[in-house]
Amino acid sequence: MTNINLLQSALNAASLRQSVITNNIANAETPGYKAKQVVFEDILKQHLNNQTSNFVGKTTDPRHFPIGDSSDLPAPQVVEDDSTVMQNNGNNVDVDQEMTNMAKNALWFNSLSKQMNNQFQQLSIAITGRSS
Amino acid sequence: MFDSLNISASALTAQRLRMDVVSSNIANAQTTRGSYVNGKWIPYQRKMVVMEPRVSSFSQVLQGQLQQQSQSGLQGVRVAGIVNDNTPFNRVYDPSNPDADSSGYVMMPNVDVSKEMVDLLSASRSYEENVTAFNTSKSMAMKALELGS
Repeated sequence: MTNINLLQSALNAASLRQSVITNNIANAETPGYKAKQVVFEDILKQHLNNQTSNFVGKTTDPRHFPIGDSSDLPAPQVVEDDSTVMQNNGNNVDVDQEMTNMAKNALWFNSLSKQMNNQFQQLSIAITGRSS
Repeated sequence: MFDSLNISASALTAQRLRMDVVSSNIANAQTTRGSYVNGKWIPYQRKMVVMEPRVSSFSQVLQGQLQQQSQSGLQGVRVAGIVNDNTPFNRVYDPSNPDADSSGYVMMPNVDVSKEMVDLLSASRSYEENVTAFNTSKSMAMKALELGS
C-alpha cells in the first residue's frame, strides 16, 4: 500500500468525520437524536500492525483467502453512543465537544492534504528531474 | 464532501424558521383575535417548531449498500411541523377592552415574552454554530481542490 493510498483513505475518513460532526451540530436540539462518531485511527493502526510481510497475495475474488495482508484500504466506521443523555429531550450532543472536534478535524484534514501535495511533488521531481 | 455543506444548510434553514416562529409569537403577544371559532374570537396561540433528523430513504440506503459506501445515512435536520402550544390562555381583567366578556375579563395569548427571548437567543446561537461548521467544511473542500497542484 503506497503512501498516497493511505493518505487517500485518511482524507476520506476526515471528510466523513466532517459530515458526521456537522450532522451532530445540525441536530443539537432535535429530540431523541444521539451523537455519532467516526472511528478510523484505531482501525488504521490495527491494519498497519497486521501488515507484517511484503509478501501479499492479490485477491481477485471475494472468496479468496487473504495472504499476508488484504490490499484494500481501511474504511472508517460510524458509531453511535446511546448510553448517555445531555438534555431533557433524550439528546446527547455536546456542542462544545463537537466544535472542538471540528476544529481538530479541519487541522488534520489540512495536514493530510499538505502531506498528499508533498507526495505528488516528490513524484513530479522524480519524473521531471527538476524541483519546480 | 458536499454532504456536510448540505447538512449545515438544512440546519440553517431550520434555525431560521425557529427565529421566524419566535418573531411571530412576540409580534402576536397581545393579539386577542387569533382565530374566529363558533362566533367567538380565540386569542393567538403560541407556536412551536418540532424538529427531527432527516433520514435517508430506503432506495438511498440500498444504493449505498450496493456500492459498499461507508453507510452514514446523515442528511441533516428537518422541521417536522409547527404545532400550537395548548397551555391555557392568560386571563386579564380589562373591562374597557372590546373583547372582554360579561364579567370584564379578556383572554390574552399564552405567549411569555421572556421565554421567547430565550428561544430566540438559543436559535441564533445554533445558527452561528452551523455557520461556523459550514465555513469549516467549505475551507476543507477548497483544500481538497488544491490537491496535486
